[in-house]
Amino acid sequence: MVLLMSVPLTLLGLLEREPSHGYDLKRDYDTFFSRGKPLPYGQVYSTLGRLARDGKIVAGEAEPGDGPDRKRYVITETGATEFETWLQEPVAPEPTLQSVLFTKVVLALMLGRDAELYLDTQRAAHLRRMRELTELRRSGPLVDALLADHGLFHLEADLRWIDLTVARLDVLAAEVRS
Amino acid sequence: MIPFSLRLTVSGGREALARLVTITAAVAIGVGLLLSTFAAVNALDRVNDRQRWMNTGAAGATATAPVDRLWWEAREDYHDGRSVFRVEVAAEGPTAPVPPGLTGLPAPGEYVASPALQKLLRDTPAAELADRFPGRLAGTVGDAALPSPDSLTVVVGGTVDEVRALPGATAVTSIATTVPAECDHACFGAGVHGDSMLLILTVVAGALIFPVLVFIGTATRLSAASREQRFAAMRLVGATPGQISVVSAVESAVAAVAGTLAGFGVYSALRPLVADVPFTGDRFFVTDLGLSPAQAAGVALGVPLAAAAAARLALRRVVVSPLGVSRRVTPKPPRAWRLIPLVAGLAELGYLVVRHPSTTSGQSAGYLSGFVLVMLGLVIGGPWLTMAAARAVARRTSRPASLIAMRRLADDPKTGFRAVAGLVLALFVTTATVGIIGTINAERGTALGGDALVRKAIVDDPLLAGDSVINGDVAGTIPAVSADVAAQARAVPGFEGMALAHENPARLGAVRRGDRPLVPVLVRCSELAQIPMVGHCAPGAAVAAVDRFQFVDLQSDSGHEWPAVPISPEEVDKLPVRLIYATTDGSTPAMERLRTIFSRNYPTHVARVADDWASEAQKKLQGWRQLANVVLLTTLPIAGCGLAVSVVAGLSDRRRPFAMLRLTGAPLRLLQRVVGLESALPLLVVAALAIGTGFASAALFLRSQMGYDLASPGALYYGLTSFGIVASLGIIASTLPLLRRITGPEAARNG
Amino acid sequence: MTTVIEARDLALAFGETPALRGASLSVEAGEVLAVMGPSGSGKSTLLHCLAGILVPDAGEVLFNGQRIDTLPEARRSALRRDKFGFVFQFGQLVPELTAEENVALPLLLNGVRRSAALAEARPWFARLGLDGMQGRRSGELSGGQAQRVALARGLVARPQVLFADEPTGALDSLTGEQVMELMVGAAREQGTTVVLVTHEARVAAYADREAIVRDGRARTLRAESVAP
Repeated sequence: MVLLMSVPLTLLGLLEREPSHGYDLKRDYDTFFSRGKPLPYGQVYSTLGRLARDGKIVAGEAEPGDGPDRKRYVITETGATEFETWLQEPVAPEPTLQSVLFTKVVLALMLGRDAELYLDTQRAAHLRRMRELTELRRSGPLVDALLADHGLFHLEADLRWIDLTVARLDVLAAEVRS
Repeated sequence: MIPFSLRLTVSGGREALARLVTITAAVAIGVGLLLSTFAAVNALDRVNDRQRWMNTGAAGATATAPVDRLWWEAREDYHDGRSVFRVEVAAEGPTAPVPPGLTGLPAPGEYVASPALQKLLRDTPAAELADRFPGRLAGTVGDAALPSPDSLTVVVGGTVDEVRALPGATAVTSIATTVPAECDHACFGAGVHGDSMLLILTVVAGALIFPVLVFIGTATRLSAASREQRFAAMRLVGATPGQISVVSAVESAVAAVAGTLAGFGVYSALRPLVADVPFTGDRFFVTDLGLSPAQAAGVALGVPLAAAAAARLALRRVVVSPLGVSRRVTPKPPRAWRLIPLVAGLAELGYLVVRHPSTTSGQSAGYLSGFVLVMLGLVIGGPWLTMAAARAVARRTSRPASLIAMRRLADDPKTGFRAVAGLVLALFVTTATVGIIGTINAERGTALGGDALVRKAIVDDPLLAGDSVINGDVAGTIPAVSADVAAQARAVPGFEGMALAHENPARLGAVRRGDRPLVPVLVRCSELAQIPMVGHCAPGAAVAAVDRFQFVDLQSDSGHEWPAVPISPEEVDKLPVRLIYATTDGSTPAMERLRTIFSRNYPTHVARVADDWASEAQKKLQGWRQLANVVLLTTLPIAGCGLAVSVVAGLSDRRRPFAMLRLTGAPLRLLQRVVGLESALPLLVVAALAIGTGFASAALFLRSQMGYDLASPGALYYGLTSFGIVASLGIIASTLPLLRRITGPEAARNG
Repeated sequence: MTTVIEARDLALAFGETPALRGASLSVEAGEVLAVMGPSGSGKSTLLHCLAGILVPDAGEVLFNGQRIDTLPEARRSALRRDKFGFVFQFGQLVPELTAEENVALPLLLNGVRRSAALAEARPWFARLGLDGMQGRRSGELSGGQAQRVALARGLVARPQVLFADEPTGALDSLTGEQVMELMVGAAREQGTTVVLVTHEARVAAYADREAIVRDGRARTLRAESVAP
């Protein structure tokens, strides 16, 4: 669900980097984000089609050559704004967010943005949520406390991942930009 | 396993190296002292052997050989308080025996002297010493005949007739090599009593070596925590207890072997110093200080083995448990029974005051066991006393420094006390020795030294005492004192007066003392007036009958009026002279010149001054006192080292909590105070106790054995003692800068 | 809110190794601030600088508006004794002293009489669930108990600021939570400001705010301020 929701924004992010063909977009997406589940061509083109319909991208002139699609897509002002907003907004601190988080970090790195700032923002959001849960845990009944604990442990795992990623940002950036 | 252990030993990092070096140093000092003690015992034997020949003329020396006879007459002469052993010899033929140290017998008119005497002869005007020996210096008495390089010995050659005429002359065919059973006052070479000296040396060695053992023990415990951790870790990964034992034994043995080797070096460095300690009253020949091969081998093998065994014992805990020691547990507090030996020892000495043992062996057994009990009692009771004092302070104090320090001491008083145990023993030994010897000196100094008047007098007395001396016989008298001799005496600068005590064959004025008659000597009143310390005549009397013993009394009796006897002065002058009494201004040259004049002219007599009596006894006592000082001065640095090491070990144990305290704002001064108090309290408490019991034991001994009251010891004692305590406090203080370094913020870092 | 402690551009190197390079931070009165960061990031060093234990090579540390990094060691010691309390990860109790005496120690250091100091220390035992532990030595206490004793010691003199360096680092989760609970509760009750160094998010979650130290630089983020 989350993954599906982020495909259009991921593609927008890839286009923010540079105007690309659908084929290139699919290849980059598969390399960094799909992790063994390649994005079907159909989904790539339907998503691009929807983005073009909403005015977030525009398709360029078809270039001569083989194959059905030699169109180059370019991001529009609307698209760039939407992408920017999405990138800076911390993901809701819920237990199963790695993929979105991860996607954002990689895209930020690809675009040369401050991924660390992004991660710190995310961190702050996480901690705020953890504080809420801690407060709940201190004041609420035992059942609530146990549930809060569950959430706290998961959020802590996310935070550890965030910390680890921050520590490895340099290496990751080198890999993404290569 | 052993090569692996060796590698572990040498590659243990700086801390392990420091530990290794400390143990090595401690072992080296201990071995050096042990070897020195052995050497001193050996030297005593050799010193005794070297003076056996002096017994040659004793009545009990009956060994004979088919050779020419040697006429022998030995006597003890004095110069300025030093004893001169003098033998007159005359051989009847060429095969007569020759004493050791001589290449041949001096011919008539020649004498041979020991090197020390030769030096004295050179440094002293002939009229004060050299003129006593007829003829010329013809050679040197070799070391083989001398107990000490300072021995003043002279062998004077004479004709058979001359020597035979001397009162104590005997003819011998062999030189004595033993102490005869019967001596008849002629055993000049009795030497020192081996057993009692051995005993003293044992006590001394104990007092010296105990602090060294403490030092070794403390050094072994240094960084014990990290060491135990390491062993525990090895156990965890599967090393067997046997393997751990090997590792620890190798570690200790390496330090012990190195220390033992260095100890032999320490010994050879100490040897000349030991030789200068007058154990017997005189220095040793350095060459007399030696080790038997068995002793050397025993120490060289025994010490490393003992060290390895001790390490094995010390590690029992870790060997058993792979978890080692993780938590600090409060050791069991010492119990009050620890005071029993101390109380028992003092009680025994007290009992001896009430019931003085009659036999010598009973006395030595009693006193010795008493003193040993007190010493043991100090060591055993020290922890309890430390704990009691610490608890008393900790219960009240509001000062954090004393609270922490006293709590630590109360928790583990044994460790706290151990650091100062050596010093405490040294203080006890020194205090007791100085107390006893000082008092004996003070008592005998007046008794043996004579009073001020008597000390200015010189009496020329018959060499041999016998019945004839008291019953009025003229045997052994001087027929007449020539005007020439009298004139020589009067010409001595500092001469004040002289009286001749004439023998009294008519037994005028004789009195009975017990069952024998006591015949006084006769002195002209004009002469008696010149020696007022002996007494005076009744007014108008011409001749007085004076108790002959008054002339050798060390107390003057100037108020005594001696009875007049009905004999004219002219008749008295014709009587032979029993003794000559002269007084001087008390200066050494005057006394010694008079002695020389008398000695040269009247060989049957011997000239004595009050100082002669005192000097021998004083010298021995002085030697012991010096020994006590040596003990204190040697023990001090060792005990100090032990103290420093244990303070440092205590510091590194508590590095983290101390660092934390400092971080939370406790001033460095507070921590310094904690460390200072921890070491200083047991030091001061137990030093006070050691000094107190030392004096108490000395007082009890003196009261029981001598009937003396303890005299206050001299400034030297107070100086040394305060120096010792101040130096120890200084050592404690010297470790304090370390605190700043080891309690820095980095020590508080987590993990 | 008033600022209690402020660090401006602190730099400090241990030999060749830089520990802080331009760290800035401010702590408001009454707040609980968590200082987080990976191992070796310099967070403990920052705490030591804030508490006047270490003197930075460059930069300023202000306490109640006064510079403390320029004070001599004796004055800084006195400041730590009078105004600050400390709780560390482990090993801060003096092993010779009983728990009660350990708690009373800061008061004794400030010259309070023994009986008065002990009287003040005693209520903390009930408060921290340590009843009956007054006479124990540190070796006879469990890790959590020892840490609670240390907490009482840190707070007994009513310090203005409590510095806690990984106070739960040596404890399991549950015990750690209890200690944190008590620490934050007691500090809030007394109005004591807390600077808490930790690498654990769940411990930091007890704080009102957190600062992150990375590579010797500190940054504070308010989650609210970046929210869209």
